[in-house]
Amino acid sequence: MMGSDGDGDAPLLDDKAKRMRDLLSSFYAPNPSMLSHSPTASSKHSTPDDINSSSFDPNHYMNILVNNSNLEGLLKRHVDMAAEIKNLDTDLQMLVYENYNKFISATDTIKRMKSNILGMEGNMEYLLEKIMSVQSRSDSVNTSLFEKREHIEKLHRTCNLLRKVQFIYDLPDRLGKCIKSEAYADAVRFYTGAMPIFKAYGDSSFHDCKRASDEAIAIIVKNLQEKLFSDSEPIQVRAEAALLLKQLDFPVDNLKTKLLERLEHSLRDIQLKPEEIKNASPSAREVAILEFVEAIHAFRVIFPDSETQLVKIAKGLITRDFVITEEYVTTRICAADLLGVLRVIWNESLLMDEVLQDSALSDHFLEGAKAAVKLYVESAFSQLLLDISDCLLKILKRDETEEYSLETALDASTKLALQGGRNLLLDVCKILDDDSGIIDKLREPIIDWVQEGLQDFFRQLEDQFQSFSGKNNSSATQIHGLTEAAAFAGLVLVLAQLSAFIEQTAIPKINEELAVSFSAGPYEYGPAFVPGEISRKFRSAGDKFLQQYINIRTQRISLLQKKRFATPKWVKHKEPREVHMFVDLFLQELKVIVNEVKQVLPQDMRKHRRSNASSASSKSNSFREEKLLHRSNTQRARSQLLETHLAKLFKQKVEIFTKVEHTQESVVMTIVKLSLKSLQEFVRLQTFNRSGFQQIQLDMQFLRTPLREIVEDEAAMDFLLDEVIVAATERCLDPIPLESPILDKLIQAKLAKSLEENTSSS
Amino acid sequence: MQGASSGIGYGLKYQARCISDVKADTDHTTFLAGTLSLKEENEVHLIRLSSSGTELFCEGLFSHPNEIWDLVSCPFDQRIFSTVYSNGETYGAAIWQIPELYGELNSPQLEKITSLDGHAGKIKCILWWPSGRHDKLISIDEENLYLWSLDASKKTAQIQSQDSAGMPHKISGGAWDPHDVNSVAATFESSLQLWDVRAMGKTISIECSHVRSVDYHPKRKHVLVTAEHESGIHIWDLRKPKVPIQELPGHTHWTWIVKCNPEYDGVILSAGTDSTVNLWLVSLGNDDVSTESQTESPTHWVDPLINTYSDYEDSIYGLTWSSREPWIFASLSYDGRVVVESVKPFISKK
Repeated sequence: MMGSDGDGDAPLLDDKAKRMRDLLSSFYAPNPSMLSHSPTASSKHSTPDDINSSSFDPNHYMNILVNNSNLEGLLKRHVDMAAEIKNLDTDLQMLVYENYNKFISATDTIKRMKSNILGMEGNMEYLLEKIMSVQSRSDSVNTSLFEKREHIEKLHRTCNLLRKVQFIYDLPDRLGKCIKSEAYADAVRFYTGAMPIFKAYGDSSFHDCKRASDEAIAIIVKNLQEKLFSDSEPIQVRAEAALLLKQLDFPVDNLKTKLLERLEHSLRDIQLKPEEIKNASPSAREVAILEFVEAIHAFRVIFPDSETQLVKIAKGLITRDFVITEEYVTTRICAADLLGVLRVIWNESLLMDEVLQDSALSDHFLEGAKAAVKLYVESAFSQLLLDISDCLLKILKRDETEEYSLETALDASTKLALQGGRNLLLDVCKILDDDSGIIDKLREPIIDWVQEGLQDFFRQLEDQFQSFSGKNNSSATQIHGLTEAAAFAGLVLVLAQLSAFIEQTAIPKINEELAVSFSAGPYEYGPAFVPGEISRKFRSAGDKFLQQYINIRTQRISLLQKKRFATPKWVKHKEPREVHMFVDLFLQELKVIVNEVKQVLPQDMRKHRRSNASSASSKSNSFREEKLLHRSNTQRARSQLLETHLAKLFKQKVEIFTKVEHTQESVVMTIVKLSLKSLQEFVRLQTFNRSGFQQIQLDMQFLRTPLREIVEDEAAMDFLLDEVIVAATERCLDPIPLESPILDKLIQAKLAKSLEENTSSS
Repeated sequence: MQGASSGIGYGLKYQARCISDVKADTDHTTFLAGTLSLKEENEVHLIRLSSSGTELFCEGLFSHPNEIWDLVSCPFDQRIFSTVYSNGETYGAAIWQIPELYGELNSPQLEKITSLDGHAGKIKCILWWPSGRHDKLISIDEENLYLWSLDASKKTAQIQSQDSAGMPHKISGGAWDPHDVNSVAATFESSLQLWDVRAMGKTISIECSHVRSVDYHPKRKHVLVTAEHESGIHIWDLRKPKVPIQELPGHTHWTWIVKCNPEYDGVILSAGTDSTVNLWLVSLGNDDVSTESQTESPTHWVDPLINTYSDYEDSIYGLTWSSREPWIFASLSYDGRVVVESVKPFISKK
């Protein structure tokens, strides 16, 4: 009925059976509305032309049929319908017959039941009678036996009591026997068994008895205590004794604390002496530790509940060990020593760990080891820092130890910076490579510390450098003594080179080393050691120090120059008779600088190329110089001035202020350039008469030769010297240069004089 | 850093050291420059920036009897200026007036109002009263300070008071405090000395070496800037004379002159013998300058050097801001080239 107009045979058949079942059940159902619910529900959706629905309208159906179908269809439909109706009729008949049969057989059954029930009542009454009689018999037996049973029970109780009394009277004897045979366990069991009675009647009836057994028990307690304290007894026995004592309500806790104290006391003798560990022989300490472990084991067995206290003691031991280790670590030890100490403590903690389960001693050890190793790494770095600064500060005390040159200072400090750093890493590597399993868990933190340590180390080193260079800053050069100022300049120079060395050599090498041996370990925030940042820092510091060195040096020269130009009245200068002393001072100062620079800075590898490049321009300079010397009258001097101006215009502008490099040549050149430029500026501030101008000309001319030996870029130097002369020409009221023979003569005289001085002084 | 050459050039005939902004000329941006030639006829050039700002032209050319070591335009009269000059041996100082109708004359002569006689040593500079019309002038030579009272109409100048430095080192220059007209700063070899003009007595002294130039901050009281030969530029707070509140690296060679911008706070110009002009921007914090602001984390440190003008052939001794158009400055290199540049592109960024 749920199905709609079927389009196949199988669903049709199904429909049929279903419809039948529904109809039948609706027929038998007590509440037809309930069952008819589903058909109505479905009929709601069905249309009047649905033959299965309750709202079927034959007329309507007919209309649709007639309208929708042709004759053939109608005929077919008619035949189908007739067949279906016939089928339904047969089904209906079958049902009626079946029901009727069932009804007849039911009536038969009811008839038979009626006849059977009639004989049952009599049998039931007979059964009841029998049961009543059985009950009365049993009651009578029960009452007749009751008295005897009571009596027996009473007798039994008395017997028990008597047995107990007997036991108590026997107790002292029995205890005595037990003491003799050392069967303390039995004795304690007996005594505790008797305890309730003694408690109840101990003061009256069993007075004597109780006293005697108490005495016996006292002896037992004493014996048990002895046993407990004697180390020679087997542990099992001692444990038993402790248990028995506890059963006797003896204050065992006191005993425990006493024993613990003894244990702790024994620990005091086990001091870690790191210095002795190097002597590989099994020390007394090891034996002591073994004993201690034994004792702990015993104790644990004896007092099973004492674990926490024991763990505390064991931890205390390890903690103390580490306190000593940490002190030891700060005294410049090597990694092997540290490892030795750690190994000893590790073994110790392993031993104790075996005895004390769940004691987490290894964790405790790890913590301690962590702190110790960290301290080790830190102190190693700080030692290195200290060494380097010591080494550098020696420069300032140079006058005390004459021999300590800048070169050795630089050597020593670079070695320290590189070798020291690498050694440190190697040392830590040793720790890392140790396969005894001690530091397995520490590996990553160690790597982290090393990285962090390196970062901090270099940072602090740079700070230290800065503070060194800042120490005598500002006006110090005038305040301090001459030697000290010079030493300070040296220090700054060494700092500059050292910074460059660290940036260019030490950091990459150390980083390499790091990559090799400390590469393991994924970093959460990236590695703590950032070589790029440190390099950058040192590079800028190196540049700064170099600049500072140059500043200090040029300032000194500038002071010389200032004195030179402030003193004489240039307008009333006398004819030049010799090269001025100032030139000597200037050259001397330069010599000191060259000396310092040679000791510290590397040579420029590209020197060759550069001198080639400059040769062309220097030629043109010498050409100009010749002209400068050979013109003599005023008119010509003036036109020559114009010429130099023109030359200047067309000549490639000499780069006076180039970037300073960390090479001997560059630094010396920079200082010379700056000094000559200053000279030019000083000259420009003055006004000269002819003689003054000639003096300047002479001095500059003389300077050419010695300067040429010092500087790398002769062209620039020549240019600057020319500039000084040009400046003097411009500032001269009557610029007539010296005749070149006189110039030569004066220069030769000066050279001879200085040569003489040199030979006499040497 | 190297800015493209955007400057407007103007050539003096001879070498020169000094250029001055004509403050009193409010209609044009004008500068006065004096040449320094020992043997030739020296000139004073009145240079004007065209209104389009693209050209410098000579507004007036006057011959000056001696080489000029210092030249300052009068702050209240655009026709008056002072010079310090030398004939090679002796120094002199004078107040000059540009003649009226000078454009019509063939070779206009400067009218000398008066000369400031009485100096014995090398005269270093003349300072005009810093604000407004006033008759006071100060002239400084190597050893002495003179306070003058100028009467332009009567063409006389009289010494009001005088004080000698009394120091082993010689005075190299000076500046008049625009915030406190009673205070004048003079630079020495190893210190900066302040004078009280009323009593003509020394007050504060600041230790710093080789000071070459000093300039007061035009907006902030107590702040002044010094340029030193070797150690660059220092900014001082006069209330804390022990340590400079800021240091700038200065120039590769001597830092010769330093000038604070009259309008923009913290914009400083310096010129040096390395033939460059550097433009600095420093943050001076709030007015109550504390040392803490100096010790701020160095990560926030920015390079105070905003630009380097390096299109010069020789040392630069003359440098001045234009007070009319404060983003414009004029520089004068020793070879007599005046270059006017605008710092607008750098300031507007800030």
